[in-house]
This record gives sequence, C-alpha cells and structure tokens, in this order.
Amino acid sequence: MPASQTETIGKIGARTWSAPWFKDPTLPVWVGTAAFLVFLMLFPLGSIFRASLWDETGFGVGRYLEVFTNAAFLKAIWNTVVISFWVGVISVVIGALLAWLVTRTDLPWKKSIRALVMASFVTPPFLGAFAWTLLAGPNAGTLNKLYRSITGAEDALFNVFTMAGLIFVMALYSFPYVFSMVANVCELISSDLEDAAEILGANKWQTAWTVTMPLALPALVGGFILAFLHSLSLFGAPAILGLPAGIHTITTQIWTLFQYPPRLDMAAAFSVPLLLATMVLIAVQKKILGRRGFSTVGGKGGQKRLIRLGWGRVPVLLLVLGILSLSVFLPYWILLKAALSKAWAMPLTWDNFTLKNFAFAFFEYGDTQRAIFNTFKLGILTATIGTLVATLIAYITNRNLFRGARYLSFFALAPLVIPGIVLAVGLFIAYTQPPLVLYGTIWILFVAYLTKEMPIGYSQAESTFKSIHPELEDASRIIGANRLISLKDVTAPLARSGLIAAWSFIFIGVIRELSASILLFAPASKVVSVVIFDLKEEGQVGVISVLGILLLVASFVVILAMHWFAGRDVVATRE
Amino acid sequence: MATVSLHGLTKKFTGMAAVDDLRLEIKDGEFVSLLGPSGCGKTTTLRLVAGFLQPDAGEIRVNDQVISSAAILIPPERRNMSMIFQSYAIWPHMTVFQNVAYGLKFKKLAAREVEEKTERLLRVVHLDALKARYPAELSGGQQQRVALARALVVEPQTLLLDEPLSNLDANLREEMRFEIRRLHEEFGITTIYVTHDQAEAMVTSDRIVVLNKGRMVQVGTPSEIFDQPRTRFVAEFIGKTNLLAGRLENANAVSLGPDFRIAVANGSFAASTGEVSVCIRPHNIALTADESEARAMASAGFNLFSGVLERRIYFGDAVDYTIALAVPPVSLRVVSPPSRQFDKGQRVFALAHPDQCVVVRDD
Repeated sequence: MPASQTETIGKIGARTWSAPWFKDPTLPVWVGTAAFLVFLMLFPLGSIFRASLWDETGFGVGRYLEVFTNAAFLKAIWNTVVISFWVGVISVVIGALLAWLVTRTDLPWKKSIRALVMASFVTPPFLGAFAWTLLAGPNAGTLNKLYRSITGAEDALFNVFTMAGLIFVMALYSFPYVFSMVANVCELISSDLEDAAEILGANKWQTAWTVTMPLALPALVGGFILAFLHSLSLFGAPAILGLPAGIHTITTQIWTLFQYPPRLDMAAAFSVPLLLATMVLIAVQKKILGRRGFSTVGGKGGQKRLIRLGWGRVPVLLLVLGILSLSVFLPYWILLKAALSKAWAMPLTWDNFTLKNFAFAFFEYGDTQRAIFNTFKLGILTATIGTLVATLIAYITNRNLFRGARYLSFFALAPLVIPGIVLAVGLFIAYTQPPLVLYGTIWILFVAYLTKEMPIGYSQAESTFKSIHPELEDASRIIGANRLISLKDVTAPLARSGLIAAWSFIFIGVIRELSASILLFAPASKVVSVVIFDLKEEGQVGVISVLGILLLVASFVVILAMHWFAGRDVVATRE
Repeated sequence: MATVSLHGLTKKFTGMAAVDDLRLEIKDGEFVSLLGPSGCGKTTTLRLVAGFLQPDAGEIRVNDQVISSAAILIPPERRNMSMIFQSYAIWPHMTVFQNVAYGLKFKKLAAREVEEKTERLLRVVHLDALKARYPAELSGGQQQRVALARALVVEPQTLLLDEPLSNLDANLREEMRFEIRRLHEEFGITTIYVTHDQAEAMVTSDRIVVLNKGRMVQVGTPSEIFDQPRTRFVAEFIGKTNLLAGRLENANAVSLGPDFRIAVANGSFAASTGEVSVCIRPHNIALTADESEARAMASAGFNLFSGVLERRIYFGDAVDYTIALAVPPVSLRVVSPPSRQFDKGQRVFALAHPDQCVVVRDD
C-alpha cells in the first residue's frame, strides 16, 4: 500500500475524538440557536400567566373569574364564537367550491383564478375591511349610492357595519385557507379511486357520497377549523367594522383593556381562554388530518379526468369571478380610485384626479414616511434573521444533531397556537420591565414578528431539508468534506429555493401584521398597518389607500420575485 | 490498500442491539458481502465502518489502527474510504463531471491532474460522453455509474457499497452486478458490500457474511454458503429449499420418522445428536415414475422418497413440482428439466444423493 495513506490513518488514529466539542466544532452554534428559540417562546407566554395570576397582593384566580362573569367580556366571547363559526362555514362553502372547480372540472382560466385566490390570501384583512367601508358603508358607500341612484330608494342596500357585514368581509379573506387544503386533496384523489367504485356498480352520486366525500372530509373539517382560528385571531377587521356598531370581539376587547387606564392583568387573563381555545382546535385539526385523510389519499395521484361542465362553463365562470370580485376586484378598484381622487366618493373624472395623496404619504407627512421606513426595515430584518434561525433549527431537528433535538420543533411551531394579540400582551408585559426593556423601540416589534413568523419559516425550512436526502451530505463527507464544507457545497445550494420561499413568506407576513403591532408600537416605531388604523380615525381615506396599495404592491413584487427565483432554480437542478 | 477488522463490534439503538458482537477480518483487496434481511444490522455495520455512527462497544481497525471504538471516532472524511449509497446520492446541482471531480478538491492536486483523473474514471465507467449533463438528465444506470466513478476517483483504501442496485430494474441490476465485479478486479480495492439479494452477493463476492438480528450467522465463500448452509435461516435465506425436520442419529444419518432414516452429508459439526433439519435443494432431487429405476438408484446409495404429484408449474426452462410425500407427511419441492415431465396425481419417486442432503441447525 502507498506509504502516505498509511501515515494519514496512523496520525489520526493517535488522537482521541471523544470530546463532543472536538468531534463537532459547530456544536455551540446549534445549541445556542436552540436555547435562543426556547427563550423566545417561553418568556412571553410565561409572562402572560404570571401577570394573570400574580399581583402585588400575591397569587389569585380572581381575574379569571372576572373574565367569565363580566357581562361585556362574555358578550365579546359569544360574538367571537358566532362570527368565527359563520366565517368558517362560509369559507368552507366558497373555498371548497372553488377548489373543486379549479382541480376537477374543465373550468376555463384556472391559472388566473388561482392567482386571484392567492391575491385574496395576500390582502391584509384590515385593508379589505377598510375597502368595504368605502364600498358598503350605509351612507357614502359606493354600492349603496349605486343602488339608490338605480332604484330611487332612500335606504341602504348593504350596511357593512353589522354582524353580517363583519362575517361577510372576514370570510372573504379566510376562504383561501380552505381552498388550499381542499385543492391539495382534490389533486391527490385520482379518478381511479372513483372508477373503482363505479365499476362495482355505484352511480355518480353514490360514488361522490361514499368515496370522494369521505376522502375530502378531513380537508373540509380541517379547513373549517383553520378559517375559524384565523377569524378568531383577527383584530383589524372587527375593529374597523365591529367597533363603530358596538360589536366587540375578544381581540378588540383585549385592545380596549390596553387603552387608558390600562388593565394589563385583565388583558393577560382574557388572553388565556383564547390561547387555550386555539390550542384545542389545533389539536383537533391535527388529529382529523393525521388519521387517515392525506396519507391514504397520497401517492402519485394517478390519472385525473376532468368533469365536463358543458353549457354551465360560462355561468360557473361568472359566478367564480363574482366571488373573487368581492375579495379582490372591488376592494382593489375602490382603493385605487380613492388613492387617485381628491374626493373618493365622487366619480374619478379629470377634475377629481390627483397624485397629491401619493406625494403626501411619501414625501410630506413625517408619520407615514417613518412608518414606511420602519415597515420595510422590519420586514427585511425579520425575514433575514428569521430565515437564518428557522434554517438552523430545521437543520437541527431534521438531522437530530443532539439528544432531544426533535422537541425543538414544538417550540418553533408554538406560535401557531398563539393569536397575534395574545403574543403582543405577553411581549408587552415581558419587555416593558427590566432586565430586557425593549418597549418603545422597534426591537419589540422585531421580537414579536420573529416569534409570530417562526412557524412558517420553520415549516418551509423543515420541508426543504426533508426533501434533501441525508445521504447527499454523507456522500461528500466520506470523500473528504467535513460537516461545514458539506453544508456549504451540498445542502445550502439544494435548499436555496426553499429558503428564498421562507424569506418571502416571512416578509409578507411582517409587512401586513397589525394585531400584535397595535399593542406594541410607540410613536417613533409606528409601522404602516398601525398608521392605516390611526388614519382611519381621522378619515384620511386617500392616504390610507396609498399605503394599502403600497403594501399590496410590495407583497406581489416579492411573490413574483420568489416565483422567478424558484422557477429558475428548478430548471437548474431539474429535481 | 487496507485490511479492515471488526472486533466485537456492537451498536445499540434505544437499548436494542442492532449490531451484536461482530467479529470479522477482511483481507487486503478482498470483496466481502454483508447479506441479510432488512433490519439485520448490515447497513448499520456499514455506517459504523464509514464513521457515520459510533460503536457502543468493540472496535474497527484499518491496517491495525483503531478508527472507531466507544472512545475514538475518526470522522468519515479522514478515513480514506468511499461509499456508494442506496439513493446514489448524486448531487443534482452539479454536472456529472463536477460530481466525479468533487472528492479530488480535498487532495490538493493541480487542476490539470484533477481533470485527467476525472476524465480517466469517466472513461472507465463509459460516461465520458455525458460529462456535461446534470444528473436529472441521466438514467438510473447512468446515475449509478456516476456514483461509482465519484467513489473510485479518490482512490480510496476501502470501498463501501450500501445496496447500490436496489433501485434499478431487473435487467440493469444484473448488468451492474458484473460491472461492480469488473471494477473490483480492475482496481483491487478492499470492498464491503451490503445487500439483501443473495444473487447479487453470489456474483460479486469473495466471501459472504450472513447476518440475522444483528449477529453473524455464517461466513464463507458463495459456494460454501449455498451448498453447506449451517442453519435453517441461512438455508432458507439463500435460495429455495426443502427443509425436513428430524433427529440426528450419527454424523451421517438423520431419522425423519419412526421407520424412516436417510443418509446425509457430514453432520458432525452440529455437535451432539438431536433435533436438526435436512436441507435438500429442489434442483438436487431427481424424479422418476419408474419404480424399478428408483429401487436401483436407492440401492446405489440415493435416498428414496415416494409420493403423489400434487402441483406442477411450467417455467419453460424448468418445471417446478410439489410432491405430497407419504413418509414423512410433508410436501417436497422439486425443480427438474422439462425433458421428462410428469402429470398431476401421478405416483412418483424422488431421489436425493446424501452429499446433497445437508444437515442444518434449527436456530
């Protein structure tokens, strides 16, 4: 054998590699990140429980008793349940119908319809709610004015400042959750499964009832719960549409408790039921989806035949576009019109046309300028740091780098069960007192966003690593690369598109965030969503519209950029 | 080149021993297969040798230097080994050339030398025309060749293969078996090959190690393993066989029933007399319907069984019969050439030479 090779083995053999730090010099990085994550999650949650149970006089459950005896609080809880239930139901109807039409029928323009559903998803619900106040406010609402001018009636056709109006608008921005779940399942149910039933003698309806429905049912129930949870945690839409009508939900009630004189302890106590309800629902949803649903539907999906709609194609298309015009076309149109008008309620003629709103928002008004700067600074910062942390955590859990590493995923996903406003209550209490005083700076917002967006970043990174076979890394190690070089040469390039997606999702989530920001901002650290909410009080319709359009444009640019990068990447690796 | 030896190698997962007290000396340039069903610990053994896992007890030595033990673990990248993975693990973001050349960048070679070595290996595995392609543009067999070239280009002391052919279709698998053996003969690298396919192990290996439940069951050349299995497990795992339960009376006789005794090949290894099985391969049994012919062969020393033909399956190149024996009351499978055929329900005689009646332990 060549002498040099024997020597290499000999030299190394003499050294001991038993100390863990020595074996893997990167270990401090992994352990440090893990500790940071656990702290990030536990500190605010612990603070909520502490503030709700202890005060100067000691331990007591009196605040919880008050939550469940105070009539106003009970009313808010009841309203929340009713609203969320109906939002769930309407979302399932719209979401499932659209999903089925797009995946299983020969409906035209499917790509555009998917893009429009995506647009509804990206639209911040508070912005949609604001747009609908312009469309269907009882007096000046454009649709109502149209109705009056056509019929000559005196009253309003729609009043969006009602329970029904609130449910309607919230459902418009919750149904995409159901859509994506049901569409996924519909794409996996192959026609073979249905053919198998038909060949055994079932007719179309029996097949639909005994095969297709049971397979899709977990997705429907899961989608309902997701939509329910989404509306449970919304703050902006109920605040904009419900408060003027005196309708309180849990989130608006918590916000009220933060107004003067602040009752942080009560806000904390009121947050706990919301937190528990969310946890239970997520657990139920996991159970439903985990048991048989997706795994048995899985596989390649086989051949799919599209159901012919025949003469119904055009009417159905019009119906779909009608639904999407409620969530996308009409709101976008009214925002654009308001942004370009001197008086938003007047027709957009040359006399009424102006760019003054843009000039005012971008160049003249200090508050909006600072807010735009803060929003994008926080968006880029959170997306970058968040992707980094999520990537490291996902790498740890996926490769099981140390004992108990798997449990980290629990912490990374924990914010899923924490509504934004509850998180804000916890962060407010945690970071307004020593040792860590972040309140008043943008850093408390940064921490809030980082926490809130961790699940999406983590699940993106995790599924990315899952798709990269560990043997790809082993293959480079065995022929001479150490762990870090393997990460750099093999894992990182393969994970690129997944990590770009994680960055984009976090960024979009951050710039639209309102429910946590509304409790955590200080005058110098306002962000765009908060400014929109503030300006609403002042009736600055034009400026709000400009800011809303800015948020939408930024989101769409990021999504397009992501598709472009990811698309290119797919071509290059041909995976 | 290298010798590899395992000394009492043990690895536990959550308390269960996945690899249990393995002892094996692999000679320089030898090709050894680890053969066994899934979960027998063969892949774990290979990953222990590669250094991806650390043993709980025992040690691994290369050229008499300890590279793995409970206290010592030289990382994979410093073991002068190469490995071929079940998934091929070809990097999809690199071209064929980049994949193969990758390992050479840790060798501190001149760029020209890297290119020469890579080109040479690509020619050896017949991929020189495809070097600019990405892996997704290659067939399964071509990807496998990239994996082979990438592993060989670094001139490893030891080559490890983890079920490298299990993802290929049947024809390609057969072709690649010979290819792997050819490359071994060309480069003479000490090789450890993990597989659950006995035919693969037979074709490629100098020696086969049969593993079951983390323990070594039998070690030997392919023909030793096939013709002289020592346990029921080995006999059943390696090819089709008949196993007749009986008692070992002396080194050359096994009783299968009250008044039925057959002559067997040397059974002395099975230590004392006692419960054993007799392994008779289906293709080592002759069939005849002619009683006088059968009697004549029996008096020449063959073991004689009689029974009724119960089932017959025609394979073209052979016929597979199942015969319901009178004594002992079991079914016997016989594979015979199609030149002489028998019908279902026919009374037949089965004859097996004692040398082909092999005593195996029941464990």
